[in-house]
Amino acid sequence: MALSIADLRTKKQFADRLFRGTTLAGGAAILVILTLIAWTVTDKSSLVFKSEGLNFFTERRFAPSATPAVYGALSFIFGTAVTALLAIIIAVPISLGLALFTTHVAPGWLKRPLVALTDVVAVVPSVVFGLWGIIYLAPKLVGPFQTVSGWFHGVPVLGSLFGQVSAGRTFMTAGLILAVMITPIITSITREVIETCPEADQDGALALGATRWEMIRGAVMPHSIGGIVGAVMLGLGRAMGETIAAALVIGSSPALTANLFSSGDSLPSVIALQWGEATSDVKRSALIAMGLTLFLMTLVVNFAATAVVSRSMKRMQGVS
Amino acid sequence: MNTSSRRSVAIVGAMTLSLIAAACGSDAKTATTPVPGAATTVPAGTAVDYKALKGKLVSSGATFPKSFYDEAIANLATAAPGLTVEYGGGGSGKGRSDLQEQVVDFAGTDGIVKTEDVAKFKGGQFVYVPTVLAPITISYNLKGVSKLQLSPATLAAIFQLQITKWSDPLIAADNPGVTLPGTAIVVARRSDGSGTTENFTKFLKAAVGPDAGGTWKLASGSTVEWPAGTQAGDGNSGVAQIVTSTDGAIGYVDLSDAKANKLTFAAVKNKAGKFVLPTLEATSAAANGTKINDDLTFFVGWADGDASYPIAAQTWIIASAKQADPVKAENIRGFLTYLLTEGQKLAPSVDYAPLPDDLRQKAIANIAKIGS
Amino acid sequence: MLDDSARTAPSSPLLSDLSGVSGRRRTTNTVVTVLMGLCVAIIFVVLALVLATVIGKGWSIVSKEFPKWFTKDIQLSPRRPGPGMKAAIVGTIITTLTATVIAVPLGIAGAVYLNEYGKRSLFARILRFFTTVMAGVPSIVMGLFIYVFWVVPRGIDGLNSFSGALSLACLMLPIVVRSSEEMLRLVPQNLRDASYALGATPSRTILTVVIPKASPGIISGSLLAVARAAGETAPLIFTIGAAKQVNWNVFSGTNTALSRQIYDNAKESFPAAQERAWGAALTLIALAFLFTIVARVLSARISRNS
Repeated sequence: MALSIADLRTKKQFADRLFRGTTLAGGAAILVILTLIAWTVTDKSSLVFKSEGLNFFTERRFAPSATPAVYGALSFIFGTAVTALLAIIIAVPISLGLALFTTHVAPGWLKRPLVALTDVVAVVPSVVFGLWGIIYLAPKLVGPFQTVSGWFHGVPVLGSLFGQVSAGRTFMTAGLILAVMITPIITSITREVIETCPEADQDGALALGATRWEMIRGAVMPHSIGGIVGAVMLGLGRAMGETIAAALVIGSSPALTANLFSSGDSLPSVIALQWGEATSDVKRSALIAMGLTLFLMTLVVNFAATAVVSRSMKRMQGVS
Repeated sequence: MNTSSRRSVAIVGAMTLSLIAAACGSDAKTATTPVPGAATTVPAGTAVDYKALKGKLVSSGATFPKSFYDEAIANLATAAPGLTVEYGGGGSGKGRSDLQEQVVDFAGTDGIVKTEDVAKFKGGQFVYVPTVLAPITISYNLKGVSKLQLSPATLAAIFQLQITKWSDPLIAADNPGVTLPGTAIVVARRSDGSGTTENFTKFLKAAVGPDAGGTWKLASGSTVEWPAGTQAGDGNSGVAQIVTSTDGAIGYVDLSDAKANKLTFAAVKNKAGKFVLPTLEATSAAANGTKINDDLTFFVGWADGDASYPIAAQTWIIASAKQADPVKAENIRGFLTYLLTEGQKLAPSVDYAPLPDDLRQKAIANIAKIGS
Repeated sequence: MLDDSARTAPSSPLLSDLSGVSGRRRTTNTVVTVLMGLCVAIIFVVLALVLATVIGKGWSIVSKEFPKWFTKDIQLSPRRPGPGMKAAIVGTIITTLTATVIAVPLGIAGAVYLNEYGKRSLFARILRFFTTVMAGVPSIVMGLFIYVFWVVPRGIDGLNSFSGALSLACLMLPIVVRSSEEMLRLVPQNLRDASYALGATPSRTILTVVIPKASPGIISGSLLAVARAAGETAPLIFTIGAAKQVNWNVFSGTNTALSRQIYDNAKESFPAAQERAWGAALTLIALAFLFTIVARVLSARISRNS
């Protein structure tokens, strides 16, 4: 079977196109799945929008047993936003610190154990974090929370943020647990990104007399910022969508309050805890609508993040 | 329901009745609504041959009876080695939607399917089989107080956070001669939607709701709008954990979980004005004071009778009356018969109250409506 | 963290003013280094506390029931003590593996498309955007989605390990795509150029040069996804059933998983069930860690070979 060069070329081209098609299919699969999810969620939540209309998003009461029943998502939207924000505020600096320490500070022999440390945190199942949260962490947090609340008592803004402590299961507790859970995601991607920062840039900065921190700020960060933001967005998605752990530690008392030491509730948590006893079609539809709401929230957040990243990328590129 | 299935009701009812009549004979107060066509007089029959059952049943639903079903399934595994029964729990709502979509063979439910939802069941008509009862305890943790009595009005005030100290005159009035400390009251309730919450709030609504001229404003349901400041726990064990770890805490917990967590519980004033402790006998007594509907639905809380404990839960297994697979139908009947015969003897050992004899016979009669 | 001075730092005449601000700069450097160390310490302490709780509560049952814990089926009644987690161990392994087999190749393919073909095209940007959106879909909604779409049409036969794997794969997919894409992007362009110069086709370049170079990173990203999937409870509640007997068949018959056993048993009040929950937690962590080590060794070998 002798193949002419032309045959070989067409064969090669065909293989090439096939490969490209395969990768395209892989990418398209995501869009297909996401469309199906969006369609299912929208379809199944239509019932509650028929009865509540857009008030669903602005109503703070969620009272399936009241007459007439009221289904509102506002307190859950609020709780999701607050806990995810807290988680990000806590997790991002820690992840960056962890990643930078591993890549730039730790001596060679310590790097592998540090990578392993992040990996172990990543393999702890979310339900275990949740159980650890209610059994171990939450009761121990009441004291420190009260102390912090005492410091800021009467101080404007901070006084209401760190207000009266109702119990161990609060927005803050959920934020802390979520922060621990998303740290490995952010750390591990950040670490890989930082690791591939060109040696030349780093050496150059050091040769110019920069301290390690200045080198990191000047050479490593501009190179890595895109990847880091991507990592943070993945972490944020996880924090917003995390179900069981948040359900266990947030306290399950829908609340709209500035007080981070108050019990609250979040969208995934209410779906998980109420689904089992959702015996009416409307209540089930309301819970699916909570999922839809979360979906829309992620959309908005991602739009914002994409805008921020592309702007910062432009600025970075302008500098280098 | 055709006549042949009615006839098989009688036969199955007969065979199981003859078995249990001796074991569980009680002078139960009958005189509830008779079920038309159900076996009231029964000829002798044969027992289910459990050894002959082969196959697998998949189910989900109410979590309240789960530990009873699990125990019964564990025992049935020895009696019927060929039959595997899986009860996945997940809640009454999940069980019902699973059965509605025909994803399970039968479902457990603590409540009744709404009339408008009945038509949505893909498997057509289904049958209610009541299986077991249990009291819901009012468990508390209060240093130095080992005996406590509470009336429905006091409970309503406590759970709506209208009173905040254990030394409140309202509580003191229920407990003459008891020294109550000034500890703050911490209310523990379920964070998840739950049949236990539904039955507890149904009791409050029946006893001291607006229709009864009382002060309970929170309606009844598997989820109610608890005031902010109440503590939420996931599942009975979650509530029990809050009660155990907090001095001054009070919560509603199923008996088997309250016992497993070694909680202390209060006596509650019943409809007849007597303070009754949550015992299995008091629960069966409540069932005797309950009106049973034709389809065997009923609410066992706030029942008549001096000995009745007022806060109790009932539960059913629902299965399609017409099964596509005769083997499956036989397996379902076999499992349900086991629950209502051997299972009833097992119930007290796991802190569930067996059905009163009269009701159990009707339940057995309903099993036979499941055919192919 | 990134203010203007950060961006201009390397280009400023550092040497000239070193004497003047040297002290302050050195202090900043030390403070930041200490802060980084503190981050490590925080994570280390948290992990140690979590592991201490899990091992403290889980080790007693796993060691007491040593061989039987891994070889016996699950106790039928939660209130009875006794060994057996085999069904859940098997369930977790086959379900997670199936999910991995579905999600990882698909995810890597998607990432390759994004980074090698799509690049900055509108379609690629849309795809990238929605991948991140998909990462935020809560796990329970993924479970409901598969329930409505896959399980219900199949009725009782729809409850099996494969349905569970589908819902887990949906969770894994966006994580695999995004992390793999980041890793592919970091492969230097000159490697690709060199490959093309040697006459390799794009597909050959990607398969033999780009992917091997990025593989350690891709593997770590995939591992994160696998670890997440193995620990998920919510989607399995709707898709996998509640078996207690071991079932090696991925496509037929109900199954169970360690994550479900943890959640279900932890909800029971009985001491025996609580013990089992922690035992299952320990088993799951050990299993996931084992996965991680194997994958790390593999990735080290791959990168050495390439």
